[in-house]
Amino acid sequence: MSAVKNILVKELTRVFTDKKLVFSLFVMPGLLIMIMYSLMGRLATNMVNDIEKNIPKVYIQNAPEGFDELVSSMGYEAEITPLVLSHNIEDIKADIKSGDVELLVVFEEGFLDKIGAYQNLGDEIPEVKTYYNTAEDYSVAAREKFLNMVLNTYQQQLLAERLGNIEQLQVFYIDKDPQSSIIVDEEKASAKPLSMLLPLLINIMLFSGAMGLGVDAITGEKERGTLSSMLISPIKRSDIVMGKLLSLGILSSLSAVIYTIFTMIGIQRLYGGFEGDADTAMGALGNISFTPIEMIQLLVLLLIVVYLYVSLISLVAVYARTAKEANTYVMPLMIVVMLGSIMTMFSGGTEKGIEYFAIPIYNSAVSLQNLFLGELTMTQFGLTVGTTAFLAAIITVLITKAFNSEKVMFNA
Amino acid sequence: MIVVNNLTKVYKLSKKQMMEQRTKKNIKRAVNELSLTAKPGEIYGLLGPNGAGKTTALRCIATLLKPTQGDIKVCEFDTVKDSEKVRKKICFLTNEIKLDPQFSPKYMFNFFGKLHGQDDKTIQERREKLFNYFGIKEFEDKKIEELSTGMKQKASIAVSLVHDPDVVIFDEPTNGLDIVTARNVTDYLKLLKKEGKTVIISTHIMSEAEKLCDKIGIIINGNKVIDGSLEDILSSTHTEDLEDAFFELYKLHNKEEA
Repeated sequence: MSAVKNILVKELTRVFTDKKLVFSLFVMPGLLIMIMYSLMGRLATNMVNDIEKNIPKVYIQNAPEGFDELVSSMGYEAEITPLVLSHNIEDIKADIKSGDVELLVVFEEGFLDKIGAYQNLGDEIPEVKTYYNTAEDYSVAAREKFLNMVLNTYQQQLLAERLGNIEQLQVFYIDKDPQSSIIVDEEKASAKPLSMLLPLLINIMLFSGAMGLGVDAITGEKERGTLSSMLISPIKRSDIVMGKLLSLGILSSLSAVIYTIFTMIGIQRLYGGFEGDADTAMGALGNISFTPIEMIQLLVLLLIVVYLYVSLISLVAVYARTAKEANTYVMPLMIVVMLGSIMTMFSGGTEKGIEYFAIPIYNSAVSLQNLFLGELTMTQFGLTVGTTAFLAAIITVLITKAFNSEKVMFNA
Repeated sequence: MIVVNNLTKVYKLSKKQMMEQRTKKNIKRAVNELSLTAKPGEIYGLLGPNGAGKTTALRCIATLLKPTQGDIKVCEFDTVKDSEKVRKKICFLTNEIKLDPQFSPKYMFNFFGKLHGQDDKTIQERREKLFNYFGIKEFEDKKIEELSTGMKQKASIAVSLVHDPDVVIFDEPTNGLDIVTARNVTDYLKLLKKEGKTVIISTHIMSEAEKLCDKIGIIINGNKVIDGSLEDILSSTHTEDLEDAFFELYKLHNKEEA
């Protein structure tokens, strides 16, 4: 056991006495994550503000009488150009396509007459046609605003004129007060978006932390010839493997914690862009409250996942001849880990069968998700931990085998 | 005491290696039926050109490689079955095994001392003795990556001797060293011999083998072609010095392969 401890201490000393390594491993990725999220937040806010500020160019052809007054009385802000019916609208359509004009509204010929003449079923109903560009944010926003603010009101007005009593149309109301209709567990609702995102984040953070470290600590040492100096010491190869895995586990857990803290700060900034939402986002975090058992479950899950990732990366690293080769082999693994966690994001609300919790990598992401929602059962937890630990243990045996193989170690 | 009995080591070649070495055979016989005995208080020198199989033979003795055929006993322990016990008794120095460049010689010395299960007091005593002998004292706290080639080699030798091993295996110990440092190393090997250690080295430097070794084994293409004291070799080849003797043997034995 003392050999394991010695190797562990040496590995940790190696990392922490190297200022450059500490910076590139812990500080820089964290800062980058934070800056990235903050920047995304700022850009998103800018975009929303920009669309709100933009005054759209709108063409209205054959506007019925009194429509202009309605538009201005509703406070619809736009640069409106009226067109006569005979105007050729093809050039305006071209301008919409190129993004120079946001919206074209065409009232059918004899619009008001047709409405006035309506009597029985089957009589002609006139049309208002809008032309807009779905690829242009300004155009989409201008149309949506025009429909909600102007056309809907206009329709209601004309209906009232025709019927006198518009309530005749309302057979019954649905949810007069929508707010009072919602019955929800606040805690779960606010945890929902985070429970989608967090498993992915945690998985990626843990894996990327272990990735750089594992390749350097094993393939790097093999390349530098420093690993063989340990192989000629009178210690068991399994002790070397354990010392390496433990030190890697500690370091990647540490880097995951640091990344997660920076990510949280970044996300706060991201939501900070949308006024008031910052509190909700952070409030959601605060709302995820754990019972002591759930805390232990979280800790055990994270530790076992770290063990699996570290052993997976080490297995690849030990077989690779150069660090470059190792990095090439690790990338597909990273993609598998990401896929496993992304799948949990879009799995919807369906209950997972217990067999899903026997699929390594995927099960840890689902378990984390359920844990944040407060829905993780002991069976699911046990199965996840069991299969993950089993797989990691098998991989550890394989790594020890590789350490004993002269072909792998000395390329002989 | 090292007893090598009929050691054969065969490497399997990958397709790429076969292309590189321009051979159609997918195996390479690095060492072929090698037998030798190195006794305590004696320096045994393995002499041979590059690629003759010297390093492979030493690696087998040091338990890093498993013999394909034959067996090796170091201090009565089998290198395959009791590899851990063998590793306790030996030190192995080769230029492919390096000290971690980020640490100081002092840290590395203490680290390997602990891996050999020594207590702090013994480690400190050994360190004082070895660092003073090799003149490592003044740079013992510098990082190994900042040291010169000679300093690195001295540090490697000192660290490898941390546990006062009975058997010393040095693969080309003076390779890349200047005359002064090389002399320093060979003098220490003589000292080890006086202390009754078993020393085995490999070299391709004739003068070194002539002056240093009590017994010389010449390896050509994986085969040991002769072994004995310098006088034995000179008399059986009817030559004046080791270099001439070597070329006589080389002409004789390299033909078979070509």
